[in-house]
Amino acid sequence: MATTTAAVTLTSDLLSDNMSVSATTTCMKAGTTADGLDQMEYGYVEIASGTAYDIIGNTPTASKASKLYVKNHSEDETYYISVVLDAQAVGRLYGGPNDTGDWMFIPADFHDANADVEITATGGTNKICYALFHEGTVLVAS
Amino acid sequence: MATTTATITIASTDLLTDELSLASTATLTTAGTSTGLTGTSGLGRTNFTVGGSAPFASKIIYRANDATSNGANKIYLKNLSTTATQYFTVYIDQEQMGRLYAGDWALFPWSAVDGTEETFITTIANTWAAGDTWDFDGITTTAANSTVADIAAQIHAQNYPNWTTTISTAAVTFTARVAGAAGVVTGTTAITGDTVTTAGDGTAAITSGAAGTRSESDIIVVPSVATTMDLEHMLFRQ
Repeated sequence: MATTTAAVTLTSDLLSDNMSVSATTTCMKAGTTADGLDQMEYGYVEIASGTAYDIIGNTPTASKASKLYVKNHSEDETYYISVVLDAQAVGRLYGGPNDTGDWMFIPADFHDANADVEITATGGTNKICYALFHEGTVLVAS
Repeated sequence: MATTTATITIASTDLLTDELSLASTATLTTAGTSTGLTGTSGLGRTNFTVGGSAPFASKIIYRANDATSNGANKIYLKNLSTTATQYFTVYIDQEQMGRLYAGDWALFPWSAVDGTEETFITTIANTWAAGDTWDFDGITTTAANSTVADIAAQIHAQNYPNWTTTISTAAVTFTARVAGAAGVVTGTTAITGDTVTTAGDGTAAITSGAAGTRSESDIIVVPSVATTMDLEHMLFRQ
């Protein structure tokens, strides 16, 4: 079994007291504690402004515990990508100087053929890194 | 300026031939700027003991009204369950994002595109008397005197559970607190649910109005079981 961990730390001085929230999860297959996600796709793309792009080219098995990581490595904070799930706007990942751009880490269900994760670049050519951890894909015959 | 950072580390020693170690830190800023986000809901915990049978009742964790539309808002969610088979299904409006299994967390941007709030103007006119009343949204305003501007001011001074108000002389503008097509305002000159009780010919005519539209990016979560599950959550908003 592969063991993949994903940890997050959120820190802020927005409140009267300093905030620090941490969480770590081991990326397991759906509903188990003994079998980790054992497949992944990892990529880096540059997307010209105005271009819409399905960031996941195939279809992971639906209703599993797939995880998707997307990071905007653009150095310009006015650049962003719009993330859309099956025509539903999720939000925008902005770039940032010194690689401080936004990232997201979500459970990705891919519940049907339309549940693609689409990104559209705005502002200029956005540099996007992504990683999908999953437990199988719907293979398409050649 | 507040500084909020989000750091992720994804690591595995055995998923690939070579060790995987991916780390990234984002500084959460407002849209298109280097100015830090200025608002947060704080860390919250919501219990789901919903009872009944599947499909189980959902809860709205954040409404689109809670944040700036198309802002650089971020949402953090974590399933606090320790039972491996228990998961939350996360939706943005009607679209299923995915399942958060026990211990899983997520951080994602949120466009928070909301709908429009219902709104109407009621104008206090004609002959009112002290003791006359106007009922709306479960609140009764009793006129202290016969002056229409004073009665309008009394109506404006109430705290309505579902509406906010502004006033201009004897005209009070009501705006729903939450976007939606609630059906209270049904047209440009009609609402449902208001009642005037007057000894004279006093009126509270609806002089304009607009129906609302529902938001289409509320964050909705559905548990996989009816028994206790807990979700930790936090919203960062600009």
